[in-house]
Order: sequence, then C-alpha cells, then structure tokens
Amino acid sequence: MTTTSAKLLKLALPLIKNHGFTRETLSLSALSLPTPLANPLPDASVTALFGPGDDACRTLVHAWLDDARRRMKEEAIEKMGMGDVLKARLKSNEPVLEHLPEAFALLASSPLLPLPLLPVDPAPIIRHAAQVSNQACWIAHSDSSWYTRRATISAIYLAAELHQLTSPKTAPEFLDSLLENAEHAGKALDETALFASYVWKSWRGIVRSSGVLV
Amino acid sequence: MQVTRSIPRKLSACRLIHNHHILRSSGPAGRTTSFGFRTVPEESKESLVKGVFDSVASKYDLMNDASSLGVHRLWKDSFVDTLKPGRKGPLRCIDVAGGTGDIALRILDHARENYADRETTVDIVDINAQMLKEGFMRFKKTMYHNTPQVSFHEANAQELTASQFKNDSYDLYTIAFGIRNCTSVPAVLSEAYRVLKPGATFACLEFSKVNNSLLSTLYDQYSFTVIPLLGTILAGDRNSYQYLVESIRKFPSQPDFAQMIRDAGFSTGGDFDGGAWTELWGGIASIHTGVKI
Repeated sequence: MTTTSAKLLKLALPLIKNHGFTRETLSLSALSLPTPLANPLPDASVTALFGPGDDACRTLVHAWLDDARRRMKEEAIEKMGMGDVLKARLKSNEPVLEHLPEAFALLASSPLLPLPLLPVDPAPIIRHAAQVSNQACWIAHSDSSWYTRRATISAIYLAAELHQLTSPKTAPEFLDSLLENAEHAGKALDETALFASYVWKSWRGIVRSSGVLV
Repeated sequence: MQVTRSIPRKLSACRLIHNHHILRSSGPAGRTTSFGFRTVPEESKESLVKGVFDSVASKYDLMNDASSLGVHRLWKDSFVDTLKPGRKGPLRCIDVAGGTGDIALRILDHARENYADRETTVDIVDINAQMLKEGFMRFKKTMYHNTPQVSFHEANAQELTASQFKNDSYDLYTIAFGIRNCTSVPAVLSEAYRVLKPGATFACLEFSKVNNSLLSTLYDQYSFTVIPLLGTILAGDRNSYQYLVESIRKFPSQPDFAQMIRDAGFSTGGDFDGGAWTELWGGIASIHTGVKI
C-alpha cells in the first residue's frame, strides 16, 4: 500500500462512526486530505486503491482493528491489569458499535469461501481476538500468569465483545466475571473450548443475520 | 459521433502511438529503444509500430481471437467490469490506443446496461488512422453512432495536445494492449496524469509476466510458434505478429510497471496481485490501476 493509500485509510477512520465500514467512507476520506479533493473519490478510484467490492470494506475493517490495537498500547498506563486493558479495548469499540456486526460479518465472509459449503470463515475473527490477546498480555506484563493462558484470554475477549454488541452497558461486568471465573477455576483449556464453542455459535448467528451473505 | 484529426500527421509529435515502454539508452549512436527484441533508434520506433498496426488493422480482432483463443474478449470484459463505469454517475472517459473501439464500446454498454447511463462519454484516441477507421466502422453499427457519447481522435499518447485534451478533464483513462508499443511509457503516463481530474483513475490492461514456471514455458512455446504462424495464415503477415509477441516479452514486470505508474505521480495499491495490479490467467495479462491524488 502506498503512502497516499495509507493516509486515506487513516483519514477514513473517524468517518466510520457516521458512514460505517463502507466504500462511501473510503470515498469521503479524500475530502479530509490536507489539500482536499473537490469531490469524494470516484468508485473506480476506491477500487484501484483498496480493492473491488467488499474487499475495500475489509481493508477498512482491518485498518480500524489495527488502529484500535495501536491505541491500546498508546493509551495504556502503568501497571494496568488484564481486566482494565481489555475493558479499555472494549471501550474503543463504542463509537462504532452499531457497525461492528457488519464489520465482523465482512471479515468472516471471504469471497474465496466455497459457499454454501462453508458460508462463514471463523479464522479472521479468531485472529482478531488472538491479536488483541497478545497486545493485552504485552501491556499487562506485570501479570505474568496470563502469558500462559492467551487462548483463554482470546476466548474471553471474544465472548465479552459479543456480549457488548447486544448489551454495551453490562459488557465490563461480564468481562470481569469471565476473567474471575477463569482465574479461579484453573481449567483454562476446558474453558477455552467452552468459550470458543459459545462464541463461534453466536458469531455465526450474527454473521447470518447481518445480511452480508444474502 | 465525430472524428477529428487534431494535428497534422506530418507532425509526428502529434500522432498517436500504440505502444510505449522501451528500454531507453543513449550513446554515440543516439537514444535507442526496443522494437520487439530489436534495438532501434528512438525516432524510428513510432513509424515501425505504425507500420505494424497499419498492417494488422483490418484483421486485428480476428488475429486477437485466433492468438488468444478468444480470451482477450474476456480480459477486456473483466477490465471494464472492474472499473464499473457509470455506477456512481456519468463519466468522461478517454480510451487511448483504442482505435478499434472495443474498450469504448464495452464502457458505454456497461454504463447503459447496468446503470441506465446514457451520459457517459468516451473519447477514443489512437495514433493510427487505420485503427481509428476500424473503430469508426464498428461504432456505425451501434446506437452510439452520431451521438455525443463517442468521438475519435488521431493523436499521440505521449503528446496529447493540451488545447484539445485539457488538464484535469477526464474521470477515467483507459489503455488496453497499447502502452507497450509506445516509445516512452513514462511520457504516456505523464500525459495520462495531466489529463485526468484529481481523484480520477488510470487503468491499463496489458500483457505481463507469467510467474508460474510451467505455465510460462507453455505460454512461451505457444507465443513464439503458434501466434506468428497464425499471423502468416490469417493475415499473411508473420513479421508484425512476431513483433507483437516480442514486445510482450520486453514489457516490464508487474512491480516494475506499478513503480513507473507511481513515478508518474499516481497512487496505487500495494505491490501484489489484487493491489496495484490484478493478474488475469496467471499473469498472462494484468490490469494496472492508479489514482491521481
């Protein structure tokens, strides 16, 4: 990606709140350049810079996720616990919360999938959770016990993020309860499988209901 | 529909050329460039290329069909479909080295059939009058004949006349299987950048490098044996088709051409298939795009 493309992607991030993870958002980003264009980028130019169809939207989703992880690190304060780190990450979802189901549906509906045999690809969402988990472990390094339980953190974070989509206000408490239970139970592997199953079934429902696959 | 000869043909600077990239060098004998696998003086390439296209003009599409087994039509369809002209409203397009009109016709058909757009226009530019004549005849069979939607211009892609092709005036610049025949690719790209509006798109469909070694070997065998033979049989002109094959091999690789597009001032996607370019059939051809920002 060239410097200009990266710059446009960055300028598109604040527009997501109002315009979603869409080609329109990318198109409008050109109006925010230091020397703004007179009109939004034409559709063919959005394709040229960010890919055709939903590929451009996926590029924007990935850029937003990358930026959210970067902000986790930038906004971290000394001696943050795992719960605080993950809650801060959940908080960064709030401005675009209404658009997140569509974003994750886009990630999970790669055009390369052999529809309808495999209508949903969980790998991008799992990768997203794993990256958040890695970043969180790096930030909350004082709590070294979590390093050995990254898979559990990934599953917990995914479950909390899922909860946030349906009940934003109770998501922090839900996250706390999951972390507490996981810590006390000492059955990380079992719980990872349990969480993964729960999360996967729920995400699949969200993706299907988003209409992306229609 | 109008046909203009924007500049006297005796002024070579104003004539259109189909191709472009050539390895340029200068030395005691002056600047040279490639003409297929031959190295020729830069000033003679234009006339050599013109000779090729004068020779093949009347059977150009027939030979393209025979030599690509009809695949060039699919590539051109894919090229225009990628650009989706008319999707967000009418566009002012310029199709360079587009003498036979097949890209322009696809652009207008795509806009009309998909978006009920009858306002998109295409200026067809070619250095070769014979090719333009073929395109004009083709358009006479369509609904676009004698409408403002299409016009024909004999002009040089490297030196589009500023009075006729104004700065910042087009929404879309297309060039299909033409840029490799031009003497100076950078000059063509520079002119493309000049005439496009800020935010507008440059799109180039051109033969490129096949990365799979097995496919590359098969393709080479086919290109250097079958295509010139077909040229002899169907058009009675082996040399012109031998040149066409050789010029394909001399064209820069996908990353090199993407860099040339950036050097002209365009922004592109990343240097990978699906980014700055999209490969067709394993890289036999590629669609390169850039945006003027």
